[in-house]
Amino acid sequence: MKEILRITIKLTITCLVAAFVMGSVFAFTYNAKKHNEHLNERQTMLGLIGYGRHNDAPSDLKLHTIYRYIIEDRGRLFLGYLVPVRKEREESHELLLVTVEGEFVKRLEAPIDPESAIEAAARDKVLKRLLEAPKTFSYSDSTIIATVGSGRSAYLLPGRFPGFKTFIKVMLALDPAFNIVGLEIMEHEEDPGLGAEITKEYFKNQFVGKPFERLKTLGVVKEPLPDEFRKALEREKWTGASISPEDVDRINKKYRDHDIYALTGATISSKSVTTGVGNMVKKFSYRVQALDRVITAQKVPVTF
Amino acid sequence: MPATTKTSSQLVLDGILNENPIFRLALSMCPAVGISTTIMNGLLLGVAVLFVQVFSSCTIAAVKNFIHPRIRIPTYTLTIATWVTVIDLVLAAYVPGAYKQMGIFVKLIVAFAIITMRLETFACRNAVSPSFWDALGMGLGFMFGMVSIGFVRELLGQGTLLGFDVLGCQPLLFFALPAAGFFCVGIMMAIFNYVELVYNRRKAKNR
Repeated sequence: MKEILRITIKLTITCLVAAFVMGSVFAFTYNAKKHNEHLNERQTMLGLIGYGRHNDAPSDLKLHTIYRYIIEDRGRLFLGYLVPVRKEREESHELLLVTVEGEFVKRLEAPIDPESAIEAAARDKVLKRLLEAPKTFSYSDSTIIATVGSGRSAYLLPGRFPGFKTFIKVMLALDPAFNIVGLEIMEHEEDPGLGAEITKEYFKNQFVGKPFERLKTLGVVKEPLPDEFRKALEREKWTGASISPEDVDRINKKYRDHDIYALTGATISSKSVTTGVGNMVKKFSYRVQALDRVITAQKVPVTF
Repeated sequence: MPATTKTSSQLVLDGILNENPIFRLALSMCPAVGISTTIMNGLLLGVAVLFVQVFSSCTIAAVKNFIHPRIRIPTYTLTIATWVTVIDLVLAAYVPGAYKQMGIFVKLIVAFAIITMRLETFACRNAVSPSFWDALGMGLGFMFGMVSIGFVRELLGQGTLLGFDVLGCQPLLFFALPAAGFFCVGIMMAIFNYVELVYNRRKAKNR
């Protein structure tokens, strides 16, 4: 009995010490880690809209995030857009309640600055105050609008859709006319060597430059990828050596309206990305146009 | 096993050559086979193991008198897990560039046999300073093993060294797959054994 007690006490002390050490290190490093993740995400976004090592982003480039919520009120569904607004030089948010069809319902002030709005918990706290029971809300997705000066330069859409095995998480960049500017695969669990090739430049860059109208009917073809197109898609690897930037532009233009060339042995993964990306763009363009109508009609002082 | 009488340099050298964790003790074979596809991977995992081994060994050597002998193993595991978590958090916070490549490896270290084995056979019987040297030697030995396997596999499997193209011809895909890790480890073990055999024979002749 005495032995049991001694073992229990010693093991408990060990666990407590370990918990204390890990807890304090976590608390100490939490902010720095958050900051890094945020920077990393921002870098990916900037990379997608064409700013990177070689050309710096203009100083008046700003990223504004819109958070979309699904709100339920006594069996009726609404969409809630948490949009950043400018109020007497300070940046805050407003919650715009819209019906599923895009009709304006209500606008509510959401006093939260953009920095703290990044945290889901902080947003939930504000929303809970604005939407009293029996209203319930759940986070759906977010969109980032990039502005240069006073005009919009790009939309960034984080999204996910089912792949061959599990969900594929992507980040999509669109220009103001909803043409694709960039596609990045963030997370996936496709088979290495087959479906996992969706992360390779020769596949994902095929989407770059696809016009909005073409996306509605975009499919995949089971044809070998033409050699010149492959070189143009992997331009980082070939530029300077055997292909000039002018050639890249010419080839890209030639294949702009062509369907996506499927990956060898991974037609399903290729198809899921193609339809997933197409759906994301279609839904987004519909939603953002509805939201813009509400914003103009209601004269919401949005920052973008 | 009584407390060690070896000097610090002997302890470090033993870890690298005589008791090399991968080639002589045949411990921690999973990472040696699974992750050593390139030199960089091997080096990064080696550095991470080195840190965890040194910190865990020193901790256990310092508190060995307070550990109840019946619950040694849970205590070791907790110690290793704590250090792995600490290193993981610190790396993520302050060196995000390296963490991006090392992150997945660092978390695996909790289950590495070599670390628990060194705590069980060495750190819990010796003072802090020899334990530190032993851990350093083991860590360096592991790193040496990982880098040398990585060298062979990267050269033959991908035709590159540290990412630079050196092999002009089509590489053998086989060497990039996990099964090839076993071949490389086996061949390296054979070389180690052969060198030892020759060395001992020479020593006997000179006597």
